[in-house]
Amino acid sequence: MKIVILGAGQVGTSVAESLVSEANEITVIDTDLVRLARLQDRLDLRTVVGNAALPSILELAGTGDADMLIAVTQSDQTNLCACRTAATLYKTPTKIARLRSTDYARYPQLLEAKNFAVDFSICPEQIITDYIVKLMAFPEALQVLEFADGLLSLVAVRAIPGGKLVGCPVSDLRRHIPSVEVRIAAIYRGDQPTIPDGETLIEAGDEVFFLAATRDIRQVLSELRRRDRPTRRILIAGGGNIGERLASATQDRYQVKLVEADERRARNLGATLKHTLVLVGDAADENLLSAESIEEMDCFLALTNDDENNILSALLAKGMGARRVLALINRRAYADLMQADRIDIAISPAQVSIGSLLAHVRQGDVAAVHSLRRGAAEALELVVHGDKNTSKVVGRRVDQLDLPHGVTLGAIMRGSAPVAGVADRRRVLIAHHDTVIEAEDHVILFVISKDLVRKVERYFQVSLGFF
Amino acid sequence: MLPPDFINAGRIARGLEIASKKRLLETLARLLATDHPGLEPDAVFERLLERERLGSTGLGHGIALPHARIKAIPQSLGAFVSLTQGVDYDAADGEPVDLAFALLVPETATEEHLQLLAELAGRFNDPELRRRLRQADNAAAILNLFGVA
Repeated sequence: MKIVILGAGQVGTSVAESLVSEANEITVIDTDLVRLARLQDRLDLRTVVGNAALPSILELAGTGDADMLIAVTQSDQTNLCACRTAATLYKTPTKIARLRSTDYARYPQLLEAKNFAVDFSICPEQIITDYIVKLMAFPEALQVLEFADGLLSLVAVRAIPGGKLVGCPVSDLRRHIPSVEVRIAAIYRGDQPTIPDGETLIEAGDEVFFLAATRDIRQVLSELRRRDRPTRRILIAGGGNIGERLASATQDRYQVKLVEADERRARNLGATLKHTLVLVGDAADENLLSAESIEEMDCFLALTNDDENNILSALLAKGMGARRVLALINRRAYADLMQADRIDIAISPAQVSIGSLLAHVRQGDVAAVHSLRRGAAEALELVVHGDKNTSKVVGRRVDQLDLPHGVTLGAIMRGSAPVAGVADRRRVLIAHHDTVIEAEDHVILFVISKDLVRKVERYFQVSLGFF
Repeated sequence: MLPPDFINAGRIARGLEIASKKRLLETLARLLATDHPGLEPDAVFERLLERERLGSTGLGHGIALPHARIKAIPQSLGAFVSLTQGVDYDAADGEPVDLAFALLVPETATEEHLQLLAELAGRFNDPELRRRLRQADNAAAILNLFGVA
């Protein structure tokens, strides 16, 4: 596929990184020559220097031949203008814009084809906020990712000594909680992945990925580790875009304190966040943490845009007794150093938000993508089309599928999307060996290595005879 | 046999210089809509893209048969394009595509339309036909090769 990416910032760079290895032809536009040169040193792609909203620059980047425009510059206005320009001049099939301002979300008609012509809009800050909100609701989990409009969840959890199932084979899960359907999709021991069968033993320290109906995940979690105290008090370090969104999303549920270094910014936040206690100061200052009773915090979240600062304040908070600490870490090398060691959860903003973009880039009808294990693995939700003749999947039992080794079909959502006034009839099924796939099913696949994704996509594609 | 009025010289373009699958489909959409006032080229383009997203219609050996159902036409329509150089088409054999036959069928597609698609796929299976289509230097010659006078 030919893809033009506007903006070589954090989002643009991580999109380019994850697409460049998938046999795509990529051109990146940015005004910053140095940034582009650095990108080109590392990755096999074309670059164009200039204002991404100008027709002449889009022309130069070969937008006329592009299948997709991904407008992820810092400026909402540039992104919108580029989408409109590409639609008018080049009929570009898929146009994605990053929109940070919540204003546009209030007027969805602005994005329609006859207006700004944005096919999909994404807001990485909102995606990251939602991700953190879910982690706080399930303090036992390392990751909670939703599929099938939230009906199904994929959860990563570290098995710890004392968990009822730890030391037992996977098949015991069924005996322990017979009323709950769950599929363990993969187990990571250190960095080694295993696709478990019934005999596989769950050991303390294992990172277990399981799929279950969202309403059941609390029960499954309690099999793998003792129930943690629910979250009550949280302290947020950094009142930037994500810090503000998170405080606003959680202040009615938890006692929220937010520390912001910039006095003016702090005053503004104090005025808009009605139920959050906003403090001016440095979250890496032990006196401040001690004065705010850090030892009573269920969760400390370091969300500034400075990796070093986030790491330091998180380590400090942990050392001073915060129950669980979480830090945004952009640099991969830092994140690798920190995770599972002294910071409970290191979040890579790029990793968390890339999935929503990948879903639109992939071949086939892809409803959702979540990038896992720092991009090494992936979980996909695909919509199955065709019939017995035009699909390799429809009408087959799960054990008749010829999926590559390392790919698990874990769950299915069946039933058409709900319409207004009619009860939602969609059902969630955990896949068994004799489950038969039907057309229009949403299947959830766990792919142990990103290299297998292309193969999986091909396998699920319809053949020529499909109209 | 291809149905009468299925393809004509107005819906054939040969020796085009096109650099992408996207432009190729855009061109085919325009050809398909030429003498059909009820057909919007943009709408045809979109339908072809939608179908392509679910699975490539690249047959292998440089051939593609993009197709879609569409309202607003009473009977099937075909269009043909040959390129000077193949474009990346995500085909099963990975080969670039330089010959593309597009096919539009009415919304209520039947067994008949499937057979038409199978008939086209069968014909393109013949290396001799592929060679002669690549060499043909005008629309009449191409029509001839498809057995349409």
